Amino acid sequence: MGKSLPCSVCGASATVHLTQIVQGQVTKVHLCEGCAEKGGAGDPAIFQLAGALSAVGEQSGLICPSCKLTDADFLKRGRLGCPTCWETFAPVLTPLLAKMQRGEAHVGRGPGGVRTPEELKRRLDAARLEMTAAIADEDYEGAARLRDLIRELETRLG
Amino acid sequence: MSVHEILASESELTHTLGAQQAIVLSTRIRLARNLRDHAFPGWAKPGQRAEVIALCLGALSPLPKFRRGHELRMEGLSDLERAALVERHLISKELSAGKGGAALISRDQTVSVMVNEEDHLRMQVVRGGWHLRAAWHQAEQLDDALGAALPLAFSSQLGFLTACPTNVGTGLRASAMVHLPGLCLAGHMDKVARALGQDGLAVRGWLGEGSDAMGNVFQISNQQTLGLSEDAILRHLGGWVRQVVEQETQARAVLLQNEGERFVDRVARALGLLRYARLLNSAEAMASLSLLRMGCDMGLLPESHRAAVDRLMIEGQPGHVQLRSGGELDSDDRDRRRAGLIREGLAALPEPKPLA
Repeated sequence: MGKSLPCSVCGASATVHLTQIVQGQVTKVHLCEGCAEKGGAGDPAIFQLAGALSAVGEQSGLICPSCKLTDADFLKRGRLGCPTCWETFAPVLTPLLAKMQRGEAHVGRGPGGVRTPEELKRRLDAARLEMTAAIADEDYEGAARLRDLIRELETRLG
Repeated sequence: MSVHEILASESELTHTLGAQQAIVLSTRIRLARNLRDHAFPGWAKPGQRAEVIALCLGALSPLPKFRRGHELRMEGLSDLERAALVERHLISKELSAGKGGAALISRDQTVSVMVNEEDHLRMQVVRGGWHLRAAWHQAEQLDDALGAALPLAFSSQLGFLTACPTNVGTGLRASAMVHLPGLCLAGHMDKVARALGQDGLAVRGWLGEGSDAMGNVFQISNQQTLGLSEDAILRHLGGWVRQVVEQETQARAVLLQNEGERFVDRVARALGLLRYARLLNSAEAMASLSLLRMGCDMGLLPESHRAAVDRLMIEGQPGHVQLRSGGELDSDDRDRRRAGLIREGLAALPEPKPLA
């Protein structure tokens, strides 16, 4: 027997080997017992992720300045280390997202639940009312948070 | 004490009854969020995880929704308590198995927030029956409150930043828990699962990722989170769930028509097994409870008993059975206790009605 293959998720020695064929494209996934039990075997997302990761191929020697995660760590774990990793590993992540997601840009809500100018406006009006109420309740901490939110919304509205 | 209190109190999933619940057992909205400038839980050091817990619980516990709710630290719970919470869908397997996790659960158990799961925050709203928009509305409000209280990791290009690329963007996973014995008996389930998979939806078992479809219960959820608005994700899921419900209804009608008395016999045998068995493993119990549930939906058994069947599906799970008995049990003891619990729970159920 040769050396066993590494788990596509965590890199440990794999004991479960799966092959999926979708529209003629073959994806092979190797999982250790732990990852297979945790979710691997029946989970289509694992196939997607493992397939996209193997397509990324060669490593670029990138390392995240904030959390010190390397691209090798990322390819091994399938998980990023911190929000800054999204910038650091953009060259690896962009093709990966193109494969597994519907689009490459976010079209949903933002923090505080905002998106379109109309929604921003609606949220801004609501936040102003909430701030007045917070001040009336002498909830100054809450009011200060809302003030920051209002500033952020005003900036985004331009 | 708190976990016992949660399991003992009535919730939408264990005590509601309505025509809405016949095929869709529950609807769930999950949002993944992270704090800016903090390492994700899987890569963070213990001290960093503790800091995230303090920040998140500090911001969340004062919210009106969590007044008189439950705050649970994973390391303060026994293995069985955590298992029972997973079986109730209040926390995930990943949170239960990980280090330095916590959960905040609203008093009515419809809203829970996991801290230090794969992401810093996993908020979920679970409603009994099919209530996608109502659940979304609740999640949206919680998300607004959270976004106002904590600095979240967000980029205008990629949306909410998450530990795994499968969640980035909206961080939204919307799902329906559906009971599909008709499609399973008719042998159509593989076909349905394939069709859903090809259109970007995942079909999983009863307890989510990596679990078996015990009791013909499946979870259908969106797979993609980036490049689609929340509204588009909900519409897509909603359209498919309505179709699956329609197909299931049809499959049941065809079965009843083709099988006639044999169909009633299936339900009656399931009741007989559950009523007289002395040792029942989870899979066998779930398979028979599933048939009773379908019998209630189709008027063979009084519909008013469906909530009791639903409750047994949850309370017959290994974590619940062991926790109720006060400690870990070997598998024979578990099966004996489960059989007793189910026998008692079904004592009031009448025999299935013969076909008119």
